Amino acid sequence: MDQKTTKQKAVHSILYWGLPVLAVVLIAVGWISFSAFNPELMPSPAQVWERLVKTFTKPIAKTTLFGHAWASLRRVLLALLVSWVFGIAFGILIGWNKKARAFFGSIFEVIRPIPPIAWIPIVIMWFGIGEFPKILLVFIGTFVPLVINTSTGIEMVDRINIQVGQIFGGKNRQILKEIVIPTALPSIFAGIRTSVSSGWTTVLAAEMLGANAGLGSLVTRGWQGSDLSLVMVSVITIAIIGALLSTILQKLEKVVCPWNN
Amino acid sequence: MEQLNKRMEVRNLSKTFFGKKGYFTAIEDVSLDVYDGEFLVILGPGRCGKTVLLNIMSGLEEQTEGQIIYNGQEWKGLNPEIGMVFQKLALMPFKTVIENVELALKFRGMEKEKRREIAKHYIELVGLKGFEEYYPKQLSGGMQQRVGIARAYAADPKLLIMDEPFGKLDAQTRYQMQEDLLKIWEKEKRTIIFVTNNIEEACYLGDRIILLSDCPTKVKKVYPIDISRPRDMVSKEFLDLRTVISDNTDLSI
Repeated sequence: MDQKTTKQKAVHSILYWGLPVLAVVLIAVGWISFSAFNPELMPSPAQVWERLVKTFTKPIAKTTLFGHAWASLRRVLLALLVSWVFGIAFGILIGWNKKARAFFGSIFEVIRPIPPIAWIPIVIMWFGIGEFPKILLVFIGTFVPLVINTSTGIEMVDRINIQVGQIFGGKNRQILKEIVIPTALPSIFAGIRTSVSSGWTTVLAAEMLGANAGLGSLVTRGWQGSDLSLVMVSVITIAIIGALLSTILQKLEKVVCPWNN
Repeated sequence: MEQLNKRMEVRNLSKTFFGKKGYFTAIEDVSLDVYDGEFLVILGPGRCGKTVLLNIMSGLEEQTEGQIIYNGQEWKGLNPEIGMVFQKLALMPFKTVIENVELALKFRGMEKEKRREIAKHYIELVGLKGFEEYYPKQLSGGMQQRVGIARAYAADPKLLIMDEPFGKLDAQTRYQMQEDLLKIWEKEKRTIIFVTNNIEEACYLGDRIILLSDCPTKVKKVYPIDISRPRDMVSKEFLDLRTVISDNTDLSI
């Protein structure tokens, strides 16, 4: 019996360590074989690697790959900073205050389903293609999930938790600060996570439509110049940065909400 | 009972909820007295009414009719001298044990060192010394309810309302908690209103038992208990009392 379970455990650990590796290997094999048979549709990993090195030796638009990545990141981070402050504050307001919810709620319900990319034409018409309109677009794309998650989190706080605050003599503001906001924190954090991924998507879309720096502009440049290797380099960079951001957020959540582990 | 000062009087209290589908009377014409320093058990089988009654007594909800008289004066709204232990615990999962216990003191603006000291005293009183920095999730159900009791005690209430605090504990833990609660109460006397649907628990704990009827909640009978503590749950007088009460109790399914 014991032997069997240890054996099962060993099998399980190999299985769950092996399956992700297998997935990566399959993709690599798929990529290599696909590119071998269709070189005009897909560059091989080796070509992409060469292209990657070239982005440093021969910068595009006077900027290396790092510069482009930073240009995109900087836009996202700036916009996120603003939308975290205002989105969370606004979410708390309409989650806690019934009058505010009655006033803003319906407007918000109308704006909410509009995908951030749909704002691009309007924003470009109004503000051109400089730095501000891109940051504004990312702000729009990240503000909405933040407000929704924060306000639902606040509304969902169990009534009994608020009653605890009242019984123990808490004033409204104290109850909000000591009980309601911390209770909603995991849900606020879900909003932050969504905002980061949605911000990262929006910035790339905005850059693809006109920018002289940024990963999105590299994709467009590669696409228009039939330089598929460059497209692949940008796409992989985008994916890596996206994955890094979400890992950082997971770690951060463990620090901010330690009781959840 | 040596002193018969009335801490609280409930006079002809009724509560009716009005909804879209009509109305529903949870409490009908309930009158009862709570004496200073007593351990009063409210025993009710019902699904309706008990928590509502407590919420009205503590000021969390408003009655439809009737009066709450506290210390001889009519009282409306939240009463800062009333503390509560909740059936659903309602501990803050994001606060450690000590942070949960000191909540009321923090609300009062007491400085940190002082409130920590008081919180520690009550954590020790309920037997949780050493667990101050744990999160509620890391504790068992019985220990969590001890935190709830310490939190209510730390607020230093004159009247402590406990709403089926041991309802969700297993039998073994429940007996232990009943015993410990009496010890805590002997050490630091407060007027306690303890609500339960368990007849044995009611007979074991109470100075008096107020038996309620099922939906709508009404007072059926008041039983003073003269058995000295600690009570033996298999003694004849205990079992007799238990039978008398259980014969008079509405069945609830």
